[in-house]
Amino acid sequence: MRRIRDLLVTLGVLGVLVVASNAVLWAAYGHVPRPATDFSPAYLQHELALLAHEPPQTLVLGDSVVWGYGVPAGEGVVALLRRDGCACRNLAFEGDSPPNEYALLELMLAAGVRPRAVVFNVNQKVFNPADSAYRRLHPALGVLAEPLLTGAERADLERMPEGAPVERALDRAVARGWLLYAMRSDVRERIFGSPDAARALLGVTQSWSGAAARVAAAHRPTPARFEGTYDLTPLDGQNLGVRYLDRFAALLRAHDIPAIAFFTPTNHALLHEFIDNDQYRANAATLAGVLRKHGVRVIDLDGAFAPSEFLDNDHLTPAGHRHLARVLAQALPR
Amino acid sequence: MDDDVRTVPGARRVDEVLRSDPLYRVLGPLLARPAVLGVVLFVLASLVVVLGPSSESRFIYTDF
Repeated sequence: MRRIRDLLVTLGVLGVLVVASNAVLWAAYGHVPRPATDFSPAYLQHELALLAHEPPQTLVLGDSVVWGYGVPAGEGVVALLRRDGCACRNLAFEGDSPPNEYALLELMLAAGVRPRAVVFNVNQKVFNPADSAYRRLHPALGVLAEPLLTGAERADLERMPEGAPVERALDRAVARGWLLYAMRSDVRERIFGSPDAARALLGVTQSWSGAAARVAAAHRPTPARFEGTYDLTPLDGQNLGVRYLDRFAALLRAHDIPAIAFFTPTNHALLHEFIDNDQYRANAATLAGVLRKHGVRVIDLDGAFAPSEFLDNDHLTPAGHRHLARVLAQALPR
Repeated sequence: MDDDVRTVPGARRVDEVLRSDPLYRVLGPLLARPAVLGVVLFVLASLVVVLGPSSESRFIYTDF
């Protein structure tokens, strides 16, 4: 009898601590400079709940270029805009694409978020059916947006493969009850600046030993690495990316949300043999036409940046982000 | 049975061994309290969650 009572006390204390930690984490976890790479459904719900209760802000959507791949969070374009006084938030993430932006906008509207404006980049590479984000939703978006999509949209789009049924059921059960577990990927990235402590430690040791510099030197971007990255098939309504860009822009217009799209600055010096041709330019014109049809302002930055402002084909150096921030600051609503 | 053990020269009972361990002397009585055990389990589970390896690496896009 005493053992049962002790067990109940232990479980009761555990339960109280879990509930208390949920409340503390939900209240204390504010905005982050940018979402974690593997941001969780719980993070996204929390972020949208914050945005829904704050005055309208400019929301910057987009892919890893806007997210700030390869540069510290504080040196990305959105962080620079914020430093310059812009009331804007970085909702870009690695692996974004028009279907992801459409799903995210559906979620934002369902959560009651009314942005002051939406800014997003248009990167021709994600209109390539071979691109991993062409029809695939980010896992967190896949989980949350699925109920908002039509049957045809669900058939169009892929979700990330999940684990075994038992693993999935256990994961969901624990995540439902314990917010720290549900937001573990976000908390880890916030604490360590890396997906987990082991990788953060590895990064430090590789930096100290010089291994990181040697790996970077061995992986300098060459044109050959990007062969096939850009598909030069003429873009039209058959392309899933074009269809979802159209839906995304139409949804923005239907809700009277001012929108600015910019063509992703692209390293033409590196990609010359693949993209300096009439079809690439014709595809850009098609995408601009889709956006302008819905009243989206389009800024063409495709060839506007110097080769020294790129880390690779399209990701920007800190100087490139400063350049992008200067251009966008001129275009954003004051 | 205990007497048999005690016949082995130098042998000690398990609880005697434990009680002679300074860590056990501190933690034993604490962990015997169910409320403290609940707190310790929560702290350990939190540490595992925060310090544990990322299982989400399969989600990371690798096309850049």
